[in-house]
Amino acid sequence: MKIARETSPRFAAIKGYLVPGGCLAPALAFLALFTFWPLVSTLKLSFYQWNMVSPTPKWVGLTNYLEILRSREFWLAFWHTLEYTLILLALNLALPYITAYILSRLVVKGQNFYRALIFLPSVLSLAVAAVIFLWLYNPLAGPVNALLRLLGLPAPPWLSSYGWVIPALTVITAWKSFGYNFIVLLAGMVAVPQELIEAARLEKASNWQIFWWIVRPLTSGTALYVLVMTVIIGSQYVFVPIQMLTNGGPDQASTNLVFLIYQYAFNFFQAGKAAAAAVITLVIFGGLLFLQKRVLEKGVYYEN
Amino acid sequence: MINCKWRKPLGIALLVATMASSLVTGCGPGNPAKGTGQEKTGGKVTTIEYWHVNSENFGGQTVRDLVQKFNEQHPDIKVVEKFQPNMYLGLMQNLQAALAGGHPPAVAQIGYNYLDYATANLPHLPVEDAAKKDPEGQAFLNNYLPNILNLGRVNGKLEGMPYSISNPVLYYNADMFKAAGLDPQNPPKTWAEVRDMARIIKEKTGNYGLYVQEPSDNWAQQAMMESNGAQVLTRTGGKASATFDSPEAIEAYQLMADMVLKDKTALHATWEEGTQAFITGKVGMYVTTIARRNYIETSSKFKVLAAPFPTFGNKPRRVPAGGNALFIFAKDPDQQKAAWEFIKYLESPEALTTWTKGTGYLPPRKDVTEDPNYLKPFMDQNPLMKPAAAQLPDAVPWVSFPGNNGLQAEQILLDARDAILGGRQSAAEALKEAVAKVNKLIGN
Repeated sequence: MKIARETSPRFAAIKGYLVPGGCLAPALAFLALFTFWPLVSTLKLSFYQWNMVSPTPKWVGLTNYLEILRSREFWLAFWHTLEYTLILLALNLALPYITAYILSRLVVKGQNFYRALIFLPSVLSLAVAAVIFLWLYNPLAGPVNALLRLLGLPAPPWLSSYGWVIPALTVITAWKSFGYNFIVLLAGMVAVPQELIEAARLEKASNWQIFWWIVRPLTSGTALYVLVMTVIIGSQYVFVPIQMLTNGGPDQASTNLVFLIYQYAFNFFQAGKAAAAAVITLVIFGGLLFLQKRVLEKGVYYEN
Repeated sequence: MINCKWRKPLGIALLVATMASSLVTGCGPGNPAKGTGQEKTGGKVTTIEYWHVNSENFGGQTVRDLVQKFNEQHPDIKVVEKFQPNMYLGLMQNLQAALAGGHPPAVAQIGYNYLDYATANLPHLPVEDAAKKDPEGQAFLNNYLPNILNLGRVNGKLEGMPYSISNPVLYYNADMFKAAGLDPQNPPKTWAEVRDMARIIKEKTGNYGLYVQEPSDNWAQQAMMESNGAQVLTRTGGKASATFDSPEAIEAYQLMADMVLKDKTALHATWEEGTQAFITGKVGMYVTTIARRNYIETSSKFKVLAAPFPTFGNKPRRVPAGGNALFIFAKDPDQQKAAWEFIKYLESPEALTTWTKGTGYLPPRKDVTEDPNYLKPFMDQNPLMKPAAAQLPDAVPWVSFPGNNGLQAEQILLDARDAILGGRQSAAEALKEAVAKVNKLIGN
């Protein structure tokens, strides 16, 4: 289709903005309505005391922030968030990375079979996974403990013991998101140019050398993506098993920042405190993203 | 390149369409509580929701039977029952969210431990006012003993209709008692005896001796502390303060902790896990509510017996009256009327008889218990109901934290329970900390 040219270059410039702007408008409208407007309301709510039912929220200034930063449960939740994240990085970044490398370079037969098998848990809802694990973890009748006892190993009550509850809940989340991360990383590995590897083979490079000097740098972009997703999304994903299985218990031993926000809002109905905790969490994760941009991106290779 | 001129109107049309559809699903159907009556020949049907805590193994089927019968008898009212998980705490949380969203249920079971909180924070129609609008209302209320009606009163006003009444009893596995060389006809009467027998059961059979219920409330723990002479909440004048850190309270809690951690004869687990453990024969004694009588009786493969809640030596037994009162949250006058009608039905002699048989709750109306047409034959025959009925005079109110932080106060006690029974803190440490926190929350 032909667009009639106007004589004024100024008008043309405006028009140049108009068309892409119009195309972006629907997406921007949704973003504004469902992302930025709630964000601003949250910020506003964090200065009030409100139980979501009473008609008049009460202005309390920075009290919510001060109370949260002084409370034991916030710092517990903070450290637990780090703990969840570290375990998730091991199970959902390092492990699928190694698995993807093995499957892309070293396994020759039955590749599709393994891929399907590993991806399978990803299609299951996390809530369903949580219920399955509740049965697996049952301290007296569950198969996990039955097996451990059979082997003569100690069988802890997974979901009600201080030390074990976080690993036990993380395993549920990891089991569910392992497959997706694996597929993403595998795609990154397959995209490594074959001729580079063949050239290295001719030079009698070992598998380890190929991995460390060729595959690792060339997949760093993908790995960074998975890393960021694991850190940001991970703390939200573990929310489901926490909420369904432990409610942050025993004695807040499994709470994290996201669950704490939920608990303030929908268990204690202190909307102001929940909003303040949400803002603090946003700042923490914002800081992490900033750090990632400044530090990690420097060492990352992007094809274009 | 695709020309944008065509995509823009399309995008806007799509946007409008999705927004419109989300608006429709957001506040259109799926909310029977809104009371859009379905036209029927001869009149309008008022649809109301009834929220309860009765899971499948806690009288869920009985609730469905009662609702179905009510709907058959009342063609102009349709009651929809909805189960709320995580007991009264969970129900309160969902209820408050529903109120914030503007679609509360018409009738809900409010645990006696949330009486103060619900009255102070949630807009409702006090039962007293609903009864006044009904010409037969006063006659209906006259069926109750004054001390039972007091269970639904806050500051003298009848806010909720007392419905279910329970107290904690000690169920025990008679077969396991025999296997351990204990006499099933001589259950423990005091906590010292419970501790000894638990040890014997563990030694002789390898099973756990005891499990005391740990749902998301502190009802059974209150019974232990107060039977040892403690007071969980002390009201002086108009002021309430938490006092569950007295030496008596600490002693009672420490006994439980010692059985779990030192003797390793008591189980520390969630309510569901503990119940499963008892009915599959892995625990000898089980302290829980009489309201679970029917489930325990029907699912255990062994002979179950029950004894009154154990005492501390010669100290008087004090068991909090558990259960719930029915509150009206409907706002629309038609729905309020239907809600009152439904409450009157649930509290009728026929319905209460079904309710007691299906759960184990004690009926709030004495005339029902003693009427040979209703519950008398059942109460006389069922051995498990006897201890619960016998200890009714020992009932004390279930602690209900005042003010608008009642939900968090309850959670702090739950955390303390985990801290003590999980071995992180001694009873003294945990209870002292919890008292300080709770007192701050309830405004001291």
